[in-house]
Amino acid sequence: MNLTQQLINGIVLGHAFALVAIGWTLLLGVARLVNFGHGQMYMLGAFVTWWAVVKAGVPYVLAVPIAMAIGALFGLVMQRVMLKATFEQNLVSIMIMTLGFGYVLHGGAALVFGSTGQILDTALSRNDITIGDLWFTWQDAAIVIAAIVVFVGLKWVLDGTRVGRLVRMVAEDPKLAMLAGVNVRRVYYGVFAFEGAAVAFAAGMVAPRTPILTSMGFEEVIMTFVVVVLGGIGSVTGSYVAGVALGLFTALFGALVSPAYTSAAAFLVLIAVLVLRPRGLSAGPAAGAH
Amino acid sequence: MTSQRLQHIALPLVGLGVFVAPAAFGGTGSVYSAAVLIAIFAVMAYGLDVIVSDLGEVSLAHTVFFAVGSYTTAWLSTKAGAGAWVTLGASIAVVLIFAAFIGLVTLRLREFVFSLVTYAVAVVAMSVASNWAFLGGSDGIRGIPMLDLSIAGLPLTARNDGELWPYAFALLAITIYVVDRFRHSRLGAAAIMTHLNPRLATMSGIDPARVRLQVFLVSAPISAAAGWLYAYQRAYVSADVLENYFLILMLTAVVLMGRRQLLGPLAATALVLMQEKFFSLGGYVDKIVLGSVLVLVLAFFPQGLMGLMRPLRRIAQRRAPSQTVITTVENPK
Amino acid sequence: MSASVNVVLRVRDLRVAYAGNQAVDLKSLDVGQGEVVGVVGANGAGKSTLVNALAGWSRGAPRVTGEVALGGQRVDGRPTHERIRSGLLLVPEGRLVFGRMNVEDNLSTAFSPLAAPGRKVYTRDEIYELFPRLKERRHHLGSQLSGGERQMLGIGRALMMGPRVLLLDEPSIGLAPKLVQQVLDTMRTLARSGLSILLVEQNVRAALEVVDRLLLLERGRVVLEGPAAQVGNDPRIAQAYLGVATA
Repeated sequence: MNLTQQLINGIVLGHAFALVAIGWTLLLGVARLVNFGHGQMYMLGAFVTWWAVVKAGVPYVLAVPIAMAIGALFGLVMQRVMLKATFEQNLVSIMIMTLGFGYVLHGGAALVFGSTGQILDTALSRNDITIGDLWFTWQDAAIVIAAIVVFVGLKWVLDGTRVGRLVRMVAEDPKLAMLAGVNVRRVYYGVFAFEGAAVAFAAGMVAPRTPILTSMGFEEVIMTFVVVVLGGIGSVTGSYVAGVALGLFTALFGALVSPAYTSAAAFLVLIAVLVLRPRGLSAGPAAGAH
Repeated sequence: MTSQRLQHIALPLVGLGVFVAPAAFGGTGSVYSAAVLIAIFAVMAYGLDVIVSDLGEVSLAHTVFFAVGSYTTAWLSTKAGAGAWVTLGASIAVVLIFAAFIGLVTLRLREFVFSLVTYAVAVVAMSVASNWAFLGGSDGIRGIPMLDLSIAGLPLTARNDGELWPYAFALLAITIYVVDRFRHSRLGAAAIMTHLNPRLATMSGIDPARVRLQVFLVSAPISAAAGWLYAYQRAYVSADVLENYFLILMLTAVVLMGRRQLLGPLAATALVLMQEKFFSLGGYVDKIVLGSVLVLVLAFFPQGLMGLMRPLRRIAQRRAPSQTVITTVENPK
Repeated sequence: MSASVNVVLRVRDLRVAYAGNQAVDLKSLDVGQGEVVGVVGANGAGKSTLVNALAGWSRGAPRVTGEVALGGQRVDGRPTHERIRSGLLLVPEGRLVFGRMNVEDNLSTAFSPLAAPGRKVYTRDEIYELFPRLKERRHHLGSQLSGGERQMLGIGRALMMGPRVLLLDEPSIGLAPKLVQQVLDTMRTLARSGLSILLVEQNVRAALEVVDRLLLLERGRVVLEGPAAQVGNDPRIAQAYLGVATA
């Protein structure tokens, strides 16, 4: 096993994990909402991109924004249906409803796209970059770059803009934010639309790496969960670091031990962390009570 | 307390009615098969009901408990030739280990982290069950013998669904009895208090984390027992017992009728399975329907279908709809 | 009624009902320009429920009916953040600051409306002038402030949002007497500059020092109302607090 090659795989994988998890970071950190339909929304983003590129002949550069728009729309619909529960902070109902939404997406996607695996080939994924013994594709490079851009961008928006401050106010205390004139409902909608668009974007970027199935999505949720909790709930920087760390761990574990049990191993790492440090590895800024 | 008396008379009557229902509906193989499955899945759902309705938390690990019952039974009966009583006992023992592990790990964690951990356990269990040769890998374990609970010379076997029905019914009846007893027990009361007002519960000397662990340990064997019987019913067990379908079915069963209704999960399971067996629109559309029902009930009818009946019941009892009762100094009640 | 002709806050038939229990049943309440109206009553009399409902927020899901008009325009039925932007400001009890932001940022979270007649929008410097202590601690986090400082911060932020009416829910709670005095003095100053204030207080004596008019709330209903000087010594107030039912 070429260690450097595995490290490169790990870095690419890690950035992919971080990118998939970014919607959750905001959703959980700001709105304290858990979206169990996350995996199915990822699947939807992957399939919409695939359909647009392979079936409808749309250029990849346009297909991804289309998937993002559909993802954002779905996020808005979800939030609209769950609005009352969101305001009542009825987490039990919200969690179950997102599971239901995910199941509907699964059934709907299988109906529309079929249940066989598909491969999303893009110009980027077909072209390799070789440096000596090491190789990766342009798609891999794009994933890393995209993840970094998105994370830096989000951090900048949250810390440096007015919109970001509104979001942080709602994250800390929705009621007080209301009394400060913030339209909290609009913020919740925005955060859910972001989750939908972000996970679809991640899918559009990452899906070309492996075959996609309408029954997929569950492993993605676990990895996202591990990333967000390890990084400290609500911490943007934390999620990035945890994502890359998880990617390296997964690549090395897969190469050294077994590729089939990587999510199980990641989960056990998370359990170990939760038992030893219930607040996650970084005491994130939004790791407050809910 | 006429409603209590009513329950004491009505419940056995309902039980009798349910017992003879499959025969009344034609007694064919498919009717008995539907009845047995309804009973098994309802028992599975009752395990979840205790956690969701009473404790007020979402456990997504009950599919794993169900699977543990099925796999333990399958493995012991085929590889070790164990009898039905032994497999039942073993299922419960193994599931308690799982539940204790999960419960202890999540002891001090917040609610939604608890739910996420249980979800992850289910997904990991799925990947382990599909890949581990010990559990048969993707083929699973086949050739489970028929159910044989014979003791002391009294033959108690079941060769087909028709003969399996009395045992399924018995399991269902016992489960409902256990749930009822739980709700009237001190642990049940502690669970409700923790659910409604954790701070007040703590100030009454209740440790919410320990209550959650204990309720978890009570609920797991229920779902595992359902898994035990399912193994005999299907005669083979594979990783598809961990599919999301069972989770969504359980959740719908718990919320459709309304929370904490004793017969709610049974009625809801019956409705869903009957739609699938007799009014199916195709596998994928059924998925969409089931998922949508779950979402719509929680979004727009949080009290469940029974909640819709409440205004009607009030009219039937000739009582005026809820009016604001003004208790003031001038108008003491 | 007070001498002010201009009614800034007009409330009619405000009812807040929880499943058969009337938490608030207010027939009428007017607050004039520059007037300070006090609402007193024992614990559980419905004072907080009342001001929260005026701001458009209620704990749980009660039925809220009635008319609330701000500067002649109806605001009942509008969500909280819209009422805030129209100038109906609430400084709640307890929940006053964003703990994870410092004082400067907390003040910046106040959105800035356009100034209008009858609506003074305070700038941050003016708030620092009014509360020099805040200026001293302006880089400290909200969570590091003392009770009195949080109260000042809460009031300061509200002032920066250009209130036409300021609702204060028990500002003196948990404060040392000297700080209570400071808060009351501030209120008097603000009222003199034209701000209308509705002050909810459990501390009747403190309230009497600054209000023009006083309302006594018992089980959600007004049982006594009148100018402070007149009503201040009414024995019914003491009785309400001691739990003796009035005839």
